[in-house]
Amino acid sequence: MSKSNSAEAIAVPHKKRGFFGNIIKYRTLILMCIPAIVFFFMFSYMPLPGIWVAFVKYNYGKGIFGSKFIGLANFEFLTSSGKLWSLTKNTILYNLAFIILGNVLAIIMAILLNEMQAKIFKKVSQTMMFLPYFISQVLVGVLVFNLLNYDTGFVNGILEVLGMEKWQPYADPNVWPVLLVIIYLWQQTGYNSVVYFAAICGIDAEIIEASKVDGANAFQRIRYIILPSLKPTIIILLLFALGGIVKGNFGLFYNIVGTNSLLYDTTDIIETFVYRATMTDFNFSTASAVGLYQSLVGFVIVMVVNGVIKKIDPEYSLF
Amino acid sequence: MKKKVLSVLLSTAMVFSLAACGGSSNGGDSAADKTEATTETAAEDTAAAETAESTEETTEEAGEATEAAASDIDTSEHVVINYMTTGDRPDGKSAERLDEMLAKLNEILTEKVNAELQIYYIEWTDYLANYNLTLAQMDGSVDLVGTASDWLDAWPNAKNGAFLALSEDMLKTYAPKTWASVPADHWEMCKYDGDIYLMPEDNYAQWTNHGFTYRLDWARDAGLADGVHSWEDLTTYFKFVKENHPELKAVWDSDGTQYAQMANGWIASHTNFVAIDGLATGALWGGTKDDLYTVVTPVMTETDSLVDYAKMMKEWDEIGVWPTDVLNNTSSQNRDEYRVGQVAAEQHHTQTWTDLCSKTEANTIYADDEKAESGFFYFGEETDNVVALSITHGAMAVSAASEHPERALMVYDLIRNDPECYKLFNYGIEGVSYEINDEGLRTTPEGYDSSTDNINGMTNYWWGRNDDIEIRDASRNWDKIDELYAKYDKVKIDYPYGQFVPDVDSIQAKIDNCNEVYTNYMKQISFGKYTGTAEEIVAEMQDALAQAGIADVAAELQTQMDALYK
Repeated sequence: MSKSNSAEAIAVPHKKRGFFGNIIKYRTLILMCIPAIVFFFMFSYMPLPGIWVAFVKYNYGKGIFGSKFIGLANFEFLTSSGKLWSLTKNTILYNLAFIILGNVLAIIMAILLNEMQAKIFKKVSQTMMFLPYFISQVLVGVLVFNLLNYDTGFVNGILEVLGMEKWQPYADPNVWPVLLVIIYLWQQTGYNSVVYFAAICGIDAEIIEASKVDGANAFQRIRYIILPSLKPTIIILLLFALGGIVKGNFGLFYNIVGTNSLLYDTTDIIETFVYRATMTDFNFSTASAVGLYQSLVGFVIVMVVNGVIKKIDPEYSLF
Repeated sequence: MKKKVLSVLLSTAMVFSLAACGGSSNGGDSAADKTEATTETAAEDTAAAETAESTEETTEEAGEATEAAASDIDTSEHVVINYMTTGDRPDGKSAERLDEMLAKLNEILTEKVNAELQIYYIEWTDYLANYNLTLAQMDGSVDLVGTASDWLDAWPNAKNGAFLALSEDMLKTYAPKTWASVPADHWEMCKYDGDIYLMPEDNYAQWTNHGFTYRLDWARDAGLADGVHSWEDLTTYFKFVKENHPELKAVWDSDGTQYAQMANGWIASHTNFVAIDGLATGALWGGTKDDLYTVVTPVMTETDSLVDYAKMMKEWDEIGVWPTDVLNNTSSQNRDEYRVGQVAAEQHHTQTWTDLCSKTEANTIYADDEKAESGFFYFGEETDNVVALSITHGAMAVSAASEHPERALMVYDLIRNDPECYKLFNYGIEGVSYEINDEGLRTTPEGYDSSTDNINGMTNYWWGRNDDIEIRDASRNWDKIDELYAKYDKVKIDYPYGQFVPDVDSIQAKIDNCNEVYTNYMKQISFGKYTGTAEEIVAEMQDALAQAGIADVAAELQTQMDALYK
């Protein structure tokens, strides 16, 4: 940028600076934003026209826009299965459990970490909590199977040694909601707590000092300073998470439940159903139609929740 | 300090996720670089002379026109043809052997058509998804595609535009021997909408009807002097094995996918139903031997038989035929376990049995136990309901994204019809991977190691084998095999729906739903894992199938079938 440019920018009256004037004025900020802008443009906006694939009979050779338009026929498969409601319900309930329990546990862990005095213990426990996040879902599936299977599983091995009756979780759909939530928490809590831990580190040390001087104990400090300071973070993370509430965690469910149809009543989510059903004809269009349905529902939920938060306290809403 | 820890953790997380994204598969270029391997001149000369002779013979058959055309083809540019097949990529010593063979083969291919071949593997784990995905990429990474109408989605891919429509001119010019060797009515079966998409493996005798391979010696011990010949016999056999052979890992280390063949097998054994291939995993729609072109749905009509099936499978589950958590058992190696005597049964097709019943090096049960013998109970034995395989059970297609479809055809024509290329590609290098004995049968040379030298198990060329060139494997138990084949030949019917490639666009959603419902219930029924009575679960399944539209699909298929056959 040349000097004359910036001189011009200053010369223009504030209110009538216009779009390009703004660009020049905030050039440094914009420059810093460029990676993020490029990222979102490339990965979120450029693929948008591809939504069209949900409305065509996709032909590899002809491409997305050359294929035949068939309207809403791709959505028919979702509605005609008669399972749309139970699948959506399962997906949303699991995600609610993941979001609520996941965040509560992450906050508790972050606060506990913050309160820890012994440095080595703190770091060791943080690393140990974080590690499961790096284990591939496929391996988690294998681990769970080796723990829980009836013939050679670790748990049943112990039960047998203790002379107790063996447990057969892979034939009992009712235990899986609990098991899946536990597995999810085991894997994700360490990662989720990092964000909260960072937010706690960002709290002004002076306030905490002041509360100590005023004689607040640890619990009061948490209740009246840390938790209120985390509120914006919690709300933002919650809003982000709610946007994906209709999108199931395919890796977790598919690798752990697999294609055991005995357990589908309580474990079948939109993703796993679509995967199985479309495997027979490998239909990109149907899969995109389902993705579009999930995104639309997610969009509506985010708008509603954001609207509600705006009503209650505009400061905390996203937009 | 805290912030430092945090930033380190965050950046590690980022690096990990980046690494995870970058770890896509690439490979298959090592083989090509080794074309300059040294060769034994003497052996080469004789082999070359032989080939020259046989080539002359075949070309004469193919006609003069092709000869003239072939000389006009411009092959000045050296190209690499990628051949896509299902199978696990060999590693270590096996990979070296494979590379040696490919180097030799590519030398010939370079000389004849100035092209070289590379193998693109679709690993067995989730093979169908990866297979379809690779085709859908359409980036020219594969040229020749091994495919099948019954187990590899040949028709859906042809309809989706993944395969190149092969014009007669193209075939005549670039694959003249293949064109000449496949009769016109077989080409008809490879057409969709008037265009040829597949080159069928129609000159290779094999049986791919399913059944149970079992230990004949143990069946005799169980009182079945004549072996297993019905599902009831199987119950007796399994019960006996469970009680008398506690040393086994499992009676049958089944995985959760076996339900489909078992259910199909039960129906074949109790009705004269003939299924239409390739519509869905389960054999839901088809005709009957007496009336092939009237669509029926045995899963809806044969209620009593299905209830019996559900009851028998419950009994098998209680006997402990398979692992308790069979539905989550995904990593079963049952066939290899059968070879070494850890299990007592294997469910697969006749072709697999021909291997398992033979005293090969890999099948150690025969060396360990002199009395060991493997019998085969084929589905449909009780009712003589045996259908010969469709010629598109194995076929080669050319990817629509291939940059060199002409050269791909030329390479295929060679590995399918040229004895030298064929033997290299299927058996490996003579003297290393195979030998021909005095009787003209194929044996293994001294120092042969089946785990590393078996080229046949690496190139997985199931898309154009050719009985004119095929050399019988000496280790196979031909007496027994020929006996069974003769039995089949007496009762078999040809696959009747070879030309029936229905347009399913309007009913695809219903087919998907029926398939999903059927799969879910049949898994529970076939492994006896259902709750409630057999009658209840079968009725529940039939209700769900009715709701999913099984009758609408049958009606639509009937309409299309009438248009074709009546």
